[in-house]
Amino acid sequence: MGSDLDRQIEQLRRCEIIKEIEVKELCLKAREILVEESNVQRVDAPVTICGDIHGQFWDLLELFLKGGDCPDTNYLFMGDFVDRGFYSVETFLLLLALKVRYPDRITLIRGNHESRQITQVYGFYDECMRKYGSVNVWRYCCEIFDYISLGAIIDDKVFCVHGGLSPSVNTLDQIRTIDRKQEVPHDGPMCDLLWSDPDDIEGWGLSPRGAGYLFGKDVVESFLHTNDLTLIARAHQLVMEGYKEMFEGKIVTVWSAPNYCYRCGNVAAILTLNEKLDRHYELFDAARQQESRGIPAKKPAPDYFL
Amino acid sequence: MQQLPTLTPCRRNVRLHKSADEAVQETNDDAALSKASAVRRGYLDDAFITKFMKKDARRPPIINRGTFVRTHAIDVLVEQFHETCRSQDAHAQIVSLGAGFDTRYFNLKKRGRSFKTYVEVDLSEIVERKMAVIQQHSELTDIIGERQDVDSGLRGNDYVLMKGDLRHWKTVAEALSHILDFDSPILFLSECVLIYLNTHDSDTIVDWISQHCLHAAFVLYEQILPDDPFGQVMIDNLRQRHIELKSIWTYPTLQSQIDRFMSREWSKAFALTISEIHDRVLTPEIRTRISRLELFDEVEEWTLLGNHYCVCWATKGRMDDMKGLQVHRKRGQKEDIVPFTLWPQSDGASVKLGSPERK
Repeated sequence: MGSDLDRQIEQLRRCEIIKEIEVKELCLKAREILVEESNVQRVDAPVTICGDIHGQFWDLLELFLKGGDCPDTNYLFMGDFVDRGFYSVETFLLLLALKVRYPDRITLIRGNHESRQITQVYGFYDECMRKYGSVNVWRYCCEIFDYISLGAIIDDKVFCVHGGLSPSVNTLDQIRTIDRKQEVPHDGPMCDLLWSDPDDIEGWGLSPRGAGYLFGKDVVESFLHTNDLTLIARAHQLVMEGYKEMFEGKIVTVWSAPNYCYRCGNVAAILTLNEKLDRHYELFDAARQQESRGIPAKKPAPDYFL
Repeated sequence: MQQLPTLTPCRRNVRLHKSADEAVQETNDDAALSKASAVRRGYLDDAFITKFMKKDARRPPIINRGTFVRTHAIDVLVEQFHETCRSQDAHAQIVSLGAGFDTRYFNLKKRGRSFKTYVEVDLSEIVERKMAVIQQHSELTDIIGERQDVDSGLRGNDYVLMKGDLRHWKTVAEALSHILDFDSPILFLSECVLIYLNTHDSDTIVDWISQHCLHAAFVLYEQILPDDPFGQVMIDNLRQRHIELKSIWTYPTLQSQIDRFMSREWSKAFALTISEIHDRVLTPEIRTRISRLELFDEVEEWTLLGNHYCVCWATKGRMDDMKGLQVHRKRGQKEDIVPFTLWPQSDGASVKLGSPERK
C-alpha cells in the first residue's frame, strides 16, 4: 500500500490525476489522520509557512523548489488549495497524499475556498466534473475539507490561520472548542477565522467580502497579549509583493500564488521560521513556460473587458 | 451568395491561426457574452443582448461587476448628453464607433428616448451578423421601424448601421458627412475600440471629430497602465489571443487620456478608472444592490483589474453643460454598503462594529 501511495505521489507530481477509486481511498486515509488533529494543530519550528495556492500546480512545484521538498522541509499550508487555477484537483490531491505519507512533516489548515458553496462558484467543482465526469471526486474532497484544522500554533508563539480573527473568539481555547467537522458556516467564529482581513481601522468593521470581518491593530494586539503570542500569520489576501507585515510586524499576510489567476502579475512568497522563530521570506515567480503548461491549450485565456 | 457566419459568440480557438483582424472582431463576441452574463445575473437590464447570443453566458463575478460599472457609467453619460440636448431643444445625434453587438440604441428607444440619428459603425462582417439578428427579431425591427437594407448596411428613420473600417477613416468620414448635422450636438462613443487602432489611425479620428464638430461629447472606455506588473501580464495575455492594444502606449494613463482631448481644444475632459467609479461614483444604493447579486471573493483582484480600465469623457461647445460623472466619496473612504452573502444574514448578530472586545 505504501508503494501505491508513493506511485500516486509520483503521478500527481507529474500533474497527472489518479483514479477515482484511488482518490476515495486516499481521502479515507487522510480522514483518519486529520480527525486526530486539533482545531489548532501544534507545529514545531523550523517550519515553512505557505499561503494561497489556488490550483496553480506548476507554481506549487516552483514553491517546493524554493522551499525544499517535503519531507525534507516541514511545511504548513494555510488553505485555499483549490479554485481559480486550472489544476485544483492535482494540487489538492498532491498535498493530501503528502499529508498521508508524511503526516508530521506537512500541516494543512482550511481556507474559505475549502467549501462546498465556494467551490461551486470558483472552479473546483467544474474542474472535478471535467476531469472525472462525475461529482464523486468533488464529494470526497469536500468531505475531507470538513476535517481540516482551522488553525495552527507554532512553538506556542505563532498563530496561523487562513483569514484572521473573530469578534467571538478571544482565546485559542475558544477555537479548540469549535465543532469543525462541517461545511464552513455562514457566520460565527469558524466562518470569521476563514474569511476575515486585517485593516487600518480601530476595532471591527464590515468586510467587503460579505463574510467575516475587518479587524484593526488593537484587536490583533489584544489577541496576541491574551494568548501570549508574538505573531499571527495568515493568507487570504493577494499581496503583489508576496508578503506584507502590518501593525509593526504583529501580523503577516503570506501569498503563495505567483501571477495569481495567470493575470495579476504578482510575486509569491513563503515564510520560514527557524528554531528561534526568526522570519525569513523567500520570494518566487510563476513557473517558467507558463504559456505552454501553466494554462492548458484548450482553456480560454484569463478574462479581460474587451 | 455568401453565407452569413453563425452567431455563436466566443469562437476562440476554432482555428489555430487567426488574423489580428479576426481577433479584434472576436472581442465583440467576448464583450457581448460578458454583457449577457451581467444581464443574466441581474446587474444590468437589457432585453435585447441575449438575442445576439446562441449559448448561455456565464462570466466570473469580477467580470460581471466590471461590465456593470462600465455600462452604467456610459449609460449615465449618454443620458446626460440626451438630456442636455433636450434642454437646449437640440437634435441628439450619437455615433458609436466599433459598436459591435451593442444594444444601447434599442434600450434607449425602449426607454422613450428619441434621436435625430443614431449611427453604429463596424467592420462589414460584424454589421452583417448584426443585421441578420435584427431581421430575425420583430422586437428589434419594430423599434427601428421603417428600414431599408443597403449595400453599406441598414438604414432606418433614426438608426444607421454602417459598414466601415475605422482604419480608413476618410471613407467613414465621407459617409458620416452625409448623415450628420454638424451644427447639432453629436456624441461619439468608443468602447474598447480606438485602442486597437495604431496611434496614427486613432488620432486621425479624434482630429477629424475635433475639427468638424462644434458641439460634441466623446465618451471613451479602454485599457490603461500597460507598464505595471498587472499591465504587463495583460499585454502578454492579450497578445497570445492576437489582440494588440496598439495605442495604449500613447495613452497609458488617465492624464494622457484627458490630454488627448484637451490638446485638441476640447473645453473639458475627465477620466476615472472603473475601480474609482465603483468606489466613488456609484451611489451606496447601487453598490449595495450589485454587491448582493453574487458571491464576490475577488476583492484585491477587482481593484487591480479595475485600475486598468478607464472611462474618459470630453465635451465642447454647447455640450459643456453636461455634468459628467459626479464623484461622491473621498478616495479610500470605508465601505458604507452591506455586501453580498450567499446566505441570509443571521439576525442575532451580537457583534458591535467598531468596538473591540477587550479583556
